[in-house]
Amino acid sequence: MMQQVVDWIDERIDLSGIRHFIAEKGVPIHTQKIWYYLGGLTLFLFAVQIVTGILLLLYYRPSAAEAYESVQFIVSDVEFGWLIRNIHSWSANLLIAVAFAHFFSVFLLKSYRKPRELTWLTGMVLLFLMLAFGFSGYLLPWNELSFFATKVGTAIGGAVPLVGRFLLRLIRGGDDVTGATLSRFYGLHVAVLPAITTAFVALHLLLVQRQGMSVPIEVEQRVKAGERLRQMPFFPNYILREVLAWYVALAILAALAAFYPWKLGKKAELFAVVPPGIRPEWYFLAMFHTLKLLPSHMLGFEGERVGVIAFGLSALFFVLVPFLDARSSRSERSPLFTALAVFALVYLVTFTIIGYFAK
Amino acid sequence: MARFDDVAAIDGPEFNRRSFLDTLLNVGFVSTAAAIAYPVTRFLIPPKSGEPATASVVVAKTAALKPNSGIVFKFGNKPAIIVRTADGEVRAYSAVCTHLECTVQFKADTSQLWCACHNGIYDLSGNVVSGPPPRGLEKFIVNVRGDVGEEDIVVSRA
Amino acid sequence: MFIALRIFLAVSGLSLVTASVAVGQTPAGRNACVSCHTRLTDSRLAKPPELFAQPDIHRESGFACVDCHGGDLAATEKTRAHDAAHGFKGKPAGQTVITTCVRCHSDAALMRRFAPRQRVDQAIEYATSVHGKRLAAGDTKVATCASCHGAHGIRRVKDAKSPVFPTNVARTCASCHASKQHMSSYTLADGTPLPTNQFAEYQKSVHYAALTKGDDLSAPSCNACHGNHGAAPPGVGSVANVCGTCHAVFAQKFEASVHRQIFDKGCVECHGNHAVLKPSDEMLGTGAHAICATCHSGADDKGAVAADRMRGDIDRLKGAIDGTSALVAHVKNAGMEVSAQELALAEARSHLTLGRTEMHASDAVRVDAIIQEGLTIVTGADVAGQRAVGELKFRRTGLAISLGAIMLVVVALGLKIRQLDRQA
Repeated sequence: MMQQVVDWIDERIDLSGIRHFIAEKGVPIHTQKIWYYLGGLTLFLFAVQIVTGILLLLYYRPSAAEAYESVQFIVSDVEFGWLIRNIHSWSANLLIAVAFAHFFSVFLLKSYRKPRELTWLTGMVLLFLMLAFGFSGYLLPWNELSFFATKVGTAIGGAVPLVGRFLLRLIRGGDDVTGATLSRFYGLHVAVLPAITTAFVALHLLLVQRQGMSVPIEVEQRVKAGERLRQMPFFPNYILREVLAWYVALAILAALAAFYPWKLGKKAELFAVVPPGIRPEWYFLAMFHTLKLLPSHMLGFEGERVGVIAFGLSALFFVLVPFLDARSSRSERSPLFTALAVFALVYLVTFTIIGYFAK
Repeated sequence: MARFDDVAAIDGPEFNRRSFLDTLLNVGFVSTAAAIAYPVTRFLIPPKSGEPATASVVVAKTAALKPNSGIVFKFGNKPAIIVRTADGEVRAYSAVCTHLECTVQFKADTSQLWCACHNGIYDLSGNVVSGPPPRGLEKFIVNVRGDVGEEDIVVSRA
Repeated sequence: MFIALRIFLAVSGLSLVTASVAVGQTPAGRNACVSCHTRLTDSRLAKPPELFAQPDIHRESGFACVDCHGGDLAATEKTRAHDAAHGFKGKPAGQTVITTCVRCHSDAALMRRFAPRQRVDQAIEYATSVHGKRLAAGDTKVATCASCHGAHGIRRVKDAKSPVFPTNVARTCASCHASKQHMSSYTLADGTPLPTNQFAEYQKSVHYAALTKGDDLSAPSCNACHGNHGAAPPGVGSVANVCGTCHAVFAQKFEASVHRQIFDKGCVECHGNHAVLKPSDEMLGTGAHAICATCHSGADDKGAVAADRMRGDIDRLKGAIDGTSALVAHVKNAGMEVSAQELALAEARSHLTLGRTEMHASDAVRVDAIIQEGLTIVTGADVAGQRAVGELKFRRTGLAISLGAIMLVVVALGLKIRQLDRQA
């Protein structure tokens, strides 16, 4: 029956280009091919976020007076509201974890090298967008934890030199975190960021489809030396494997939603005192804990400011890696950048763990 | 390119295994799709309670509240009370006594709000008249809304 | 013409002076008492005008030294200023203090001109007090008007710095009553020396805490139970009435109870008189810290049985409320809507309060009834809470089923992939 539908469409819009593309598209087979699935997995989790997010925004109310109550309403009165909400919260964390895994696998395999610099750039933008989604979404339940995490997080933004104060007011919608911040974050989270992300995802996918999958440098060198690279058909072999990964992710999400439901917490109070030991979600923990450990004054500047600048410069460095790594752009081994990637990974993992267990 | 329906054309011992696997797969896809579609559909159907009701509550029809009487109702997770004075004015207060949090009630013979626990007495403006309560009762906003003759008394927080 | 002028001057001058003496208005800068006394080296004589210059209700109402002490306000020379012909009384002491104040303060017509709502019967009350009676008998160590209100620099009672402002009353009384030295010559009716620990005891009490830390100015201090001007210990039989002026419901219940006739000192038997502490359920029953156990013990003592029964009731309700509160809190944090249960638990807590009140009637049956009502409410909330827990379990079951479906797909996919790979 599917075939009849496809033929019906084919008569009207010529699908031969697509058919040809699907029939011919292949995915290289080698020892590192497992990392290929991470990109699609990220996309799947993002789709889960879009679907659950749309469902949630049918009931959510973005005002300081009603946000907390509307979330409570969703999880207690709306049928399966608890499921949708918990999947959305857990999938957010999983999405960022997988996005980082995807980032690191690409970094370590040097897939960013010529001719895929643009793919890398769009991917980095997407990574930052995911973090922005996480940060803006975290405030929306308007409970004590998210309120103070936002307060602390946006305060760090104020440490950016020169434009820090302006940025702080821009992000917060005022001098403090208030209902104005909530409105602003909501607008960002459901409209601005999705629009920008859609554009960049389209670009990113287009580039990947046009350029095909990158292979590790050793494999590329072997191919150059004459070895024949085995391929598997994208459809159905690769696609089925990708779908398998998606189903496993779905199983994990469902289990997390049922066994570790997200707590409602206490409603945020604007003038309450910051509870001790407040900290952001795990994906900001490494940066947060580093800033906490920095001395209050370094090299004549405020410690926090130095930290923020350092992180800013590191981010810039990662964005520009394809242009800085000359050796891999010549398809040569680049151990320096491998070492940098490993260092970054170890640093982030270590500081996340330390930050999690620190008091 | 291998297409699912090609499979059906192949005969032999592999036939049964293949079509069994395909059936299994299809059943699996359909059941998981249903397992997703069912909660999503139920989610979309509006729940009975309509909307979050902690900020304002429809208490009763105006006709149900007679002059010189009061009705205690649930407001969020605390009791509250609406009273109609002898002149007909409707007022709403928290019914949580400010002494030890017992629930106050309306006393028609003295037209006052009374707490049975330790005899705390409030007037119909929520102020303490006598007894142990240290403060007056929290006042809420009353609105009357709806079709003429069928108006609802709606109480909301200040 | 000059004669007329001289007469005119004399008359106007005289009338001015008369006017000032009659009404007590101090012509600005012509208070000779103050200008002389402030220059004296003896602090006993220099202090009063200093104090009088501070906020003082009498000075602010236009009164001066001569209105209490007599004498000539304008005279700069001592003998003329202190002239007995001008009514100079010197420092009033003993009964003279009373008569000095009473001259105005018991004159209703006069007080109406300055403070129409103020009472004018303080002296009559004072005469009935222990202080008044002893003063009449010649004891000048007792308190007089000036002892509590001061003499110079008298502030309104409403003024927070007044020694008789509610939060300061106890300390003022204690200035004599807490001094062993001052009270050494006084004894109780049975000959034992008058205790001086009342203030220390009172400072431990719940009333003192309410007054000084709880911002509750209606909380009792010494005067609330002993009276202001008619200060005397309440009669032994009337203690319950005194406590009952605020704790009306308890007094009512106690009035109807068997203890009314038995207790010598009413409420004080269990709650103390000065060190009235926050009561706890520990006081009820026949256990370790129980007060009932002072008189009641043993299974054949009806009182002990009743006390234990009431204590058991209250403990049972408390335990039920605590258990269900924990359940509701757990379920609430898992995201379930529990406002109805919270409301019910608040109702149940009211029943606990009502039960503790009812206990003062010493009738276990009445307490049973109230507690039972409370338990019914808690059971209802508990049932709803258990249902919520069941719902949580149901979700996990639902999950297990959908996980089954998902795993089915995963396995099937795996097999299909293997099959396709073999084909290729």
